[in-house]
Amino acid sequence: MAPVGETVKPTPTREVLSRAQARAALIPDCMVEARRLANTVIAGWHGRRKRGIGENFWQFRPYVDGESLTNVDWRRSARDDHTYVRDREWEAAHTVWIWADLSPSMMYKSTLALVSKESRALVLMLALAEILARSGERIGCPGIMEPIAARNAAERLATALMHHAATGGLPDTRMIRGNSDIVLFGDFLDPVDDVMARLGPLARRGLGGHVVAVTDPAEEVFPYAGRTEFTDPETGERITAGRAETLKDDYARAWAANRTALADNLRHLGWSFVPHRTDRLASEALVAVHMYLSGMPATLAREPGR
Amino acid sequence: MSAFAFAAPAVLAALVLLPAIWWLLRLTPPKPLTEVFPPFAILAAILKREETPARSPWWLTLVRMLMAAAVIFAIADPVFNPRANTLASGGPLVLVIDNTWASATDWQRRVDTAAALIDDAEGRDLPISLVFTAERQHDAGPVDAASARNRLAAAEPRPLPADRTQALAALRTALDGTPPGTLAFLSDGMAAGEDDDTLSALQALNPADFRLVTGDGLATVAATAAVNGADALSVTVTRLEAGAARSLPLTAHDARGRPVAAGTADFAAGETVATGTIAAPFELRNDFARVSLDGVANAGGTYLLDDGFRRRRVAFLSGEVVDPSQPLLSPLHYITRALAPYADLIEPSVADLSVAVPELLDQNPSVLIMADIGRLPEEAQDRVRRFIEAGGMLIRFAGPRLAAAPADDPLVPVQLRKGERALGGALSWSEPQPLSAYPASSPFAGMRAPDGILIKRQVLAEPTPDLAERTWANLADGTPLVTTGPLGNGRLVLFHVSAETAWSNLPLSGDFVEMLRRTVQLSRGGGVASQAGGAEQQALPPYRLLTVNGTLAAATGEAKPLAADAAGTIATFDNPPGLYGTEDGYVAHNLLPPGSAIRPLAVPEGVTVLREALAGKAAWSLKPELFTLAALLLLADCLVVLFMGGAFVAARRRPLRGSAAAVLLAVMVLSLAAAPALADDAKPGDEAILSRLDTTHLAYVVTGETEVDRISERGLAGLTEFLTYRTTLEPGEPVGIDISADELSLYPIIYWPVSATAAMPSSAAISRIDAYMRGGGTVLFDTRDQFVALDGSAASANTERLQAILATLDIPPLEPVPADHVLTKAFYLLNDFPGRYAGGPLWIEAQLDRAEDPSRPARAGDGVSPIMITGNDFAGAWAIDANGAALLPTVPPDERQRNHAFRAGVNIMMYMLTGNYKADQVHVPALLERLGQ
Repeated sequence: MAPVGETVKPTPTREVLSRAQARAALIPDCMVEARRLANTVIAGWHGRRKRGIGENFWQFRPYVDGESLTNVDWRRSARDDHTYVRDREWEAAHTVWIWADLSPSMMYKSTLALVSKESRALVLMLALAEILARSGERIGCPGIMEPIAARNAAERLATALMHHAATGGLPDTRMIRGNSDIVLFGDFLDPVDDVMARLGPLARRGLGGHVVAVTDPAEEVFPYAGRTEFTDPETGERITAGRAETLKDDYARAWAANRTALADNLRHLGWSFVPHRTDRLASEALVAVHMYLSGMPATLAREPGR
Repeated sequence: MSAFAFAAPAVLAALVLLPAIWWLLRLTPPKPLTEVFPPFAILAAILKREETPARSPWWLTLVRMLMAAAVIFAIADPVFNPRANTLASGGPLVLVIDNTWASATDWQRRVDTAAALIDDAEGRDLPISLVFTAERQHDAGPVDAASARNRLAAAEPRPLPADRTQALAALRTALDGTPPGTLAFLSDGMAAGEDDDTLSALQALNPADFRLVTGDGLATVAATAAVNGADALSVTVTRLEAGAARSLPLTAHDARGRPVAAGTADFAAGETVATGTIAAPFELRNDFARVSLDGVANAGGTYLLDDGFRRRRVAFLSGEVVDPSQPLLSPLHYITRALAPYADLIEPSVADLSVAVPELLDQNPSVLIMADIGRLPEEAQDRVRRFIEAGGMLIRFAGPRLAAAPADDPLVPVQLRKGERALGGALSWSEPQPLSAYPASSPFAGMRAPDGILIKRQVLAEPTPDLAERTWANLADGTPLVTTGPLGNGRLVLFHVSAETAWSNLPLSGDFVEMLRRTVQLSRGGGVASQAGGAEQQALPPYRLLTVNGTLAAATGEAKPLAADAAGTIATFDNPPGLYGTEDGYVAHNLLPPGSAIRPLAVPEGVTVLREALAGKAAWSLKPELFTLAALLLLADCLVVLFMGGAFVAARRRPLRGSAAAVLLAVMVLSLAAAPALADDAKPGDEAILSRLDTTHLAYVVTGETEVDRISERGLAGLTEFLTYRTTLEPGEPVGIDISADELSLYPIIYWPVSATAAMPSSAAISRIDAYMRGGGTVLFDTRDQFVALDGSAASANTERLQAILATLDIPPLEPVPADHVLTKAFYLLNDFPGRYAGGPLWIEAQLDRAEDPSRPARAGDGVSPIMITGNDFAGAWAIDANGAALLPTVPPDERQRNHAFRAGVNIMMYMLTGNYKADQVHVPALLERLGQ
C-alpha cells in the first residue's frame, strides 16, 4: 500500500508565479484599509474615498472662514451666492508585508491534496502580491525584500525568493518598521506558545496581521490505518502507531484544540486567522485575506475585547 | 503390513523446531507502513509511548504453525498401503491376465499390479511368463522383465470374453513341466463358460504361490438384450455379483452417438438380472442406435441395435401429374404430410410408371404407396409383385382411375366390383357415411373412435366369406373402408377412398395420420435380407466395431465377415461385437447373446488360492494434499496480514482514488472483453433495401430516354399522390430502376414504358425480368401507341419492340381484362382502363378454367397476373408537376378520362397488393346467406 503522504521538492518560483497571476486575475483589486496614518503612508495612486491630498475631485463644500482663499473654487462659487471649496480625494499607499513559510514541514503533499502546502503558500503569497501591486500598495517581504511600490512587485518578489535561501518557521521581523500590515502564510504547526511568542511583539508594535494556515487534508482527517510509522519532516523523529485507525478520534480532538488555540490567541492580538486546506481552491483563501485587508468584515479584527 | 507409513520418517524430527518457530512468530510484529506526517507534535502528544509491540494474535500464530507442520509432514511423504516384495522364489513368475471387456474399466490398475509384480520379479531376478486370455495368439515363453514390461504396455483390453483354454494350453507348453514360483491370475472375475476349470488347471501347474487377483466384481455389469415394446424399449441387464439393490441409468444414443432418451434398470437386492425400460415416442425410438449403461464404459455396457429400429422408407406413386402450384389437390400432399415425421419418403423423378417403379424399388423401400393408379404397365406390375412377395408392403388408395380399372387387378387385397364406381353406379347414398368402430383384429384397434369423418365416395369390395377378417376399418353401413391381404411374404393394403379430399374428409383428419403410421409400422424394415430375396444367406462384412470402451469405431482388418447364422452367438475374436453389413443395412452383433448370464469365477474344491485385491490404490501419497493445505494456509495468512495492515480499510476510505480507479479500470476492461462480439453481417446497400422494404414504392424501368423517364417518374408520382389521398396505401417516392442491376423483388409492380428508340435491354436483364415475374412480381408494359395504332395499319415501333422483348420471356396466354375480372372490382368499379389515350385494352394473363357463372360478379382466380400490357400511356395521364397540375393533356382533352386513368391505376395497385381477395369479398353476403341456413 502506498503511503498517504509524501515529501515533495520545493516548487520552482517561476512556475508558481504564473499560477499566482492566474489566481490573482480572479480577485478584484485590493484596497488595503489604511486606517493608521503613519509615516509608512506615502502618496499612491488610488483613492481612499475621503478627502485629502490627491489629484482627483472629491466634493465641493462651503468655504469655512480661515481657510486659504487659494482653495476656493471660483468657477463653482460664481454660480450662486455661496463660496465653495473644491476638495480632492485622498490617495495613499499602504505597506503590506507578505511572508510564506518554506520550512521542510511545508514540503508535504498527501494523496488527498492537489498540491503541496509549500506550493499553495507560494501561490497565495504571489497572488496577493499581484493584487496589492495592482492597487499600488507597497509590498515587502520580511528578511527578503524591502517594501516597494511597483506594478511588477509580484515578479520582483518572486525573483527575490528565487535568490533567497529557504525561510525558517517564522518571519525575520527586523525589517518591519512602523504601522503596516503583515500577511503570513504557513502551516503553524509549532506549539502555539512558540508561535505567539514570535508574533506577540509584532502586534504590540502596532502591526496588523493576517495569518493563513495552510493545511493538508491528511493532517486534518488523519486517513491512516493499520500499523503505521510516522516521521517528522522537520526533525526526522519517528513514532509508531500499532493501529493508526484507533487514533483518529483522539487526533481529531488534538488537532481541533491546536487550531482553536491558535485562532483565539491571534484574535486576542487583533489579528485575523484564515484556515485553508490544500484540497480547496486557492482563491478561497485569497478572497478571505482580501476581505480582511480591505476591512470588509468591518473592523472585526480591531475591536477590543474580541 | 501397515496401511500407513512415511517414506522419509527422518524429516519428522523437524517437528521439534515447531516451538522455536512459535517463539519467533510471536515476537515478530508486522512491518509498519512509513508515513511522513508534518503535525508530528500534535500526534506525539496523544501517542506518548509506543504501545505494546504488536504481537501476532494467537490464532494467526496457530495458522502459521499448522502451515509449518503441514510442510514438514508433506516432506516426510506419508503413503497409504505401501506394498512389499513377497514373491516366491524358485521358479518363474507366471502372470495370467484377463484382458477381456470386463477388465477395461480398471485396466490401468491391472497393468499397475502386473508391473509391480514384474518389478518384484526383476528384483529377485526371475523370468516371467506373461499370457493374456483374450488374444488370438499366445506367447507364454518366459522372458526377462524388460520385454515383459513391453508386452504389458502393448496389451490392451479387448471387447471380447476370455478364452482361457487356449491361453492355458500355451502356458502349459511354454512351462513344459517347470513348476512356477508365483502364479498370479489377474482375473476379471467371470467364469468363461458353464464349467470353467481354469483354476483347477492352473493349480495343476503346481505353483509354489498361487494368487488370484480380482477387481471389484460388483462393477461388472452387462446389457444382454433390448426388445422394442409397444411403448418403450426394454433392456435386460445382468451383473456378476448379486449384491445390494442398485439402480443403473440407461441412455439410448442415436446413430451419431448423441443421447436421445434415458431410463433406468433397477436391480433388486440379491438379483443378478434386471430389466430396464426406456420410454420414448415411437419416432424417437426409431433413431436408437445403441443403448449404453451410464458409468459402465466398457463393451459389456453397450448394446447395439440394428435395422429393427430403423425408420421405414416409403415410396410414392401417383396417377396424375402433380401440379406443384395446387398441392391441396394432390393425394401425395396428404400422404406426405401424414408420413413425413415417421418415415423417409422417396418420390419418383419421372412420371412414366415403367421407369418410376423400378427406380423407386431399386431404392429398397419398405412400403410402396400408390395413390389412384388403376393399372400398372406389365413389367412394372411384375416388379411390384416381386417386391411384395419378397416382404414388401403395398398401400393403395382408390380414386377415379382405380375405380375404372379392370377387376382382375392382382394387386388389390379384395375383389372389387367390376367396372363399378363408388358414385353414380350401383352405389348412391343419400348422405355421406361415417366410420364405425375399428374391428378388434385391426391394427387400428385402440385408436380413438373415429368421429366426424364422412365418406362421400368409395370403391366397393365384392362380398366374400373372408371379407370381414380382411377388413381393418368399416363404414357405418358395414362396407369396408380399409382392406388388407397377404401376397407372398408381403402385404397389400387398400384404402377404399382417395387420398385427397374429393371423396372424403378422411385425409384431413388426425385418424388418417395414425392409420398410415400404424400401417407403415407393420411393414418390415428395409435391409439386406430383402435385397437378397430372403433366401440365400450371405456373410456380412464388418461395418462398425465396438471398442472396448463401448463406442463404435471403423472396422479393423482383424474382424472377419459375420456369417448370417452367427447372429445371436457370443462374440469371438473373429467376429468381435459391432455392426456387420453396410451403411444401408446392417446386423448388430453384440458381445453377449440375448439371454446369456455372467457368472462369477468360483474357486473349486481342492484349489488353494491367495485372494488379493488389485494394486493401483496402494501408492496413494498424502504429499500433494499436505502441500495444498500449506499453500492454502499461506494464502489465508497473507490475507490476514493484509487485513491487519489496513489494506482494505484504506481502500474503503478513499473510494475515488487510485485503487478504486484501478478496480474500475479492471471492470471496464473485463466488460469490454466480455462484450459479445456480434458478427457484422451488414452488406453495402442494406440501407437502401431496408428503406425500400419499409415502404411500398412504385417502380418504373429507366429506359435511358430523358423525356420518357421524366414522364414515368412524374406519372408514378401523380399516382402515388392519388393513392395516398384516396386509399390507405401510402407509397413512397417512385423509384427508377435499372433492370440489369437493381434488385427487383422489392417492388410489387414495375411500370415499363416501352420505347422503340431506347436501347434494347440485354438478354441477362430480360432473364432477370423473367425471374421477377416467376417470383410473383408483375410488369406493366405500356407501349403508349394507342393513338398511333389508330390507323389500323401494322404494329407500331413500340409494339414491335415489345414483341421483341416478350419473345424471350416465358409468358402465359393473355386476354383483355374480362368484364368479371377482379381487376375491374378491386377498388373502383371500372369498365375500361384508359390512360392518356382511351380505347386500348389492358391485356392480362388469361384465366383458362373459365366457368361462366352469371351469379358471380367477380371471378376468383389464384395468383396475380404476372404481366399487363396496355397502349394507353398510363404515366402520361398520371403525370403531374410539382404543383399537382397535369403535365400532358389527355387525348381527347377530357379531365374525366384522366380521372378514370387514375382510378385504373388505383385498381391495378389494389389488384397487385390484394390478389383475389376482392373476388372473395364480394361473395361475403352470399356466403353469409348460405351459412345461415
